[in-house]
Amino acid sequence: MAQLISIDPVTRIEGHMRIDVEVENGVVKDAWSSGTMFRGIEMLLLDKHPWDAQQVVERICGVCPMVHGTAASYCLDDAMDVSLPDNARWIRNLMLGSNFIQSHVLHFYHLAALDYVDVVAVTKYAGNDPGLKALQGKVAGLAAAGDAYPFLPRYETNDYVSDPELAATLVSHYVQALEMRKKAQEMIAIFYGRMPSFVGTIPGGVTVQPTVGNIEIFRARLSELRTWIDTVYIADIMTVAGVAAFAPFVTAGDSGGNYLAYGGFDLNSAGTEKFFARGVIFDHDITNVKDMDAAQIAESVKHSWYTPECEGLNPANGKTEPEVSKDGAYSFLKAPRYDGKPMEVGPLARMLVLKPPALVELAQKTGALDAKKFGILARHAARAIECKILADAMAGWVDELVPGNPIWDSKGKDIPDSSSGAGLVEGPRGALGHWITISGKKIGNYQAVVPTTWNGSPRDANGVRGPIETSLIGLPVPDADNPINVVRCVRSFDPCLACAIHVIHPEHNGVAEFRVF
Amino acid sequence: MERKGVTRRQFIKYAGATAAMLGLSEAFLPEIARALEEMTSGKPPVLWIQGQNCTGCSVSFLNSNYPGVAELVLDKLSVRYQPNVSAGTGYKAMEAIEKTAEEMSGKYVLVVEGPIPTAEGGEYCTFGLEKETKDLLGNKVPKDKPIYAWMQELVPGAAAVIALGNCASFGGIPAANAAVTGATQVSDIVFDIDKSKPLINIGGCPIHPDWFIGTVLNYLYYKKVPELDKYYRPTLYFGKLIHENCERRASFDAGLFLEDWNDNNPDFKLCMFKMGCKGPVTYADCPTRRWNSGVNWCVGANAPCHGCAEPSFYSNFSPLYEPLPNMNFGGLSPAIDTLGWVAAGATAVGVGAHYLYKQLGKKPEGGEE
Repeated sequence: MAQLISIDPVTRIEGHMRIDVEVENGVVKDAWSSGTMFRGIEMLLLDKHPWDAQQVVERICGVCPMVHGTAASYCLDDAMDVSLPDNARWIRNLMLGSNFIQSHVLHFYHLAALDYVDVVAVTKYAGNDPGLKALQGKVAGLAAAGDAYPFLPRYETNDYVSDPELAATLVSHYVQALEMRKKAQEMIAIFYGRMPSFVGTIPGGVTVQPTVGNIEIFRARLSELRTWIDTVYIADIMTVAGVAAFAPFVTAGDSGGNYLAYGGFDLNSAGTEKFFARGVIFDHDITNVKDMDAAQIAESVKHSWYTPECEGLNPANGKTEPEVSKDGAYSFLKAPRYDGKPMEVGPLARMLVLKPPALVELAQKTGALDAKKFGILARHAARAIECKILADAMAGWVDELVPGNPIWDSKGKDIPDSSSGAGLVEGPRGALGHWITISGKKIGNYQAVVPTTWNGSPRDANGVRGPIETSLIGLPVPDADNPINVVRCVRSFDPCLACAIHVIHPEHNGVAEFRVF
Repeated sequence: MERKGVTRRQFIKYAGATAAMLGLSEAFLPEIARALEEMTSGKPPVLWIQGQNCTGCSVSFLNSNYPGVAELVLDKLSVRYQPNVSAGTGYKAMEAIEKTAEEMSGKYVLVVEGPIPTAEGGEYCTFGLEKETKDLLGNKVPKDKPIYAWMQELVPGAAAVIALGNCASFGGIPAANAAVTGATQVSDIVFDIDKSKPLINIGGCPIHPDWFIGTVLNYLYYKKVPELDKYYRPTLYFGKLIHENCERRASFDAGLFLEDWNDNNPDFKLCMFKMGCKGPVTYADCPTRRWNSGVNWCVGANAPCHGCAEPSFYSNFSPLYEPLPNMNFGGLSPAIDTLGWVAAGATAVGVGAHYLYKQLGKKPEGGEE
């Protein structure tokens, strides 16, 4: 008999998300992904001064404000036809890169790891490492006091990593990672003032000139992070991926095989050469990367809480008009499609387009390449490998900064009477596009298609599921009270729901019994 | 103390850092040490829920330097629910909230990040599920639970409510679209439920971690809400005008304004007023406290203060990069180029700034900021 399991709140993500899965004979048969919060950032930008846009859209998300502010800057640069000075381009790359590091570290250790590690096992640690023994004492104390929040309660499962030595090591890295991600945010404050809600990027460039002083304090933190990424983060990912019980997750959780990367981190001023390549992959055919054409993007709102007038539009002239009582709708995420197809975006998409040797090797070794399926662990591995190659590249970009050279094109201050612009970048969670129309020197229209809109999208006009929905189908859920595999899979996408709205009305067809949690 | 693996010396050092954060004299060290020890033995429960937020305040909280987050979350507080940190998800998370609300009634601190939308029955923001809802045909339906309904449930049993961030405190950015979602500042909802409920607004988009953590420690130490201004903000952090403490104040007084970012010799520290700085009307201690472990702050990055700690942010401060309108210093309306001189020559700076603050920060009757 089929059961509907509703999981809400999905914690350890950004924002408000609800997942409904229909489970039959211990396996997910169907799935619905819903965003349950709406603010209407795009609507409130209408008629505002264009320079306000990047400060406002940064507030779309406090975990990834960097990529929104950066996309907005490129979008406004485009609308005002500026020539971005090289210094400004490198600083923007370094700042965005710093936030990739903080976001990826935060994601693996603080958002995802508790799905894999049994924190309580730390109490059984028998080794002599003073740091781990101190941690053991702390966890034992919390458990003894019956106050092991926020680690408990949790879904129970018999496949958590429970080896005391390994669990203690991973939990100690969880604590270390708090400091590391903090340092990555400090790197941003050096050039952009503070983080989150930074102020250092403006239309036409950036606000802080590189100096020997700020370059060196940035470089010092970067080298510390690079060492930590190489020796701890990458090692931990390989350790978790090597746990026998998790082997099925290399391929389980595959999103359907379509991947999209806008490409990011411009290496030349024309933006034609990018550190992360631009490209599109269909049907797992990863050796056949196609060119990306933004005109192929259209957003369906058939199952989203928006008026029918918003249906099928390219974001460049998109609309965001909520209609909360719409029949058949269950999310305020729109359903963007490329060439009519749902696309996974994010580190896995980028790494499949780029194919760095480390990832290809790992995919061969784990069998993902032969199976042509890339699941939960493939996403974590791609994220870690991406973090490493990006941090390594950043060390070279720092050398490109030239104190004394321009950081701003003053054309950024000349607001045209009417114009339009697009900013397509890559953020930690994937392809991000911002589109602006300026009319009467004010914002006439502003649209953002965020990564989670791609990944977490509901069904489209043809009834085709979004990538997260597809990835859940076929996952084992042996215990309906503890659907741990569902949240492992959802979290592997690093969803960020801040731009979405509210739902309900899942299609209940064929569901004989509701389980209401 | 020794049994917790902390030496006396470390503890005093920690108490010293805490004293500095609270702005207290070192004479208080022994008492702070005692209070901290008390709180480590009976950690106050915290329920942290999110309305129309962006999680920026949670991320900023994670940037806390001294004390660090691990220490706060594991040693100082009992964080029963925090959406980005809690292991529990779905009904497990709900259980933790419900259990705390029941067993710790009157004791827990309720932290609310983001405003509360009230339009359409509160459905613009929901988390968790209502258990007993039935649809029109009588089927049990897992209905989303609005944050508004959570507030009705959790506010009465809270020892105090902390509205975290500018949008929870004053509506902020989501309130700029209040016509659609009915985004409402937390205090309006709380005082509607209980006029006498202790409430603290921590402004800032995002909050500075010290503002929040310092307020919590202050509350635990004195067992009462710290001194608040008329916007329910702790005067400890929001008592001084940015403009009065700005490291670039000398440039303002000398009329040296930044007009082109390329001309900005890093040593000059030009005033950001012409680029729209809201420092003259914003109360916060950013110039002295600085951000991200003291690395920098907005004006330090040659950018204007956007006034994100003020009730007027965002709508009433837009356009963000245009100079403040109607600068009127004691009846004078100088051209901006001479403004600095006038301000320096008259004691009008404070007066003028407060005057302006009154003008811009004025709260419309019954309306959202």
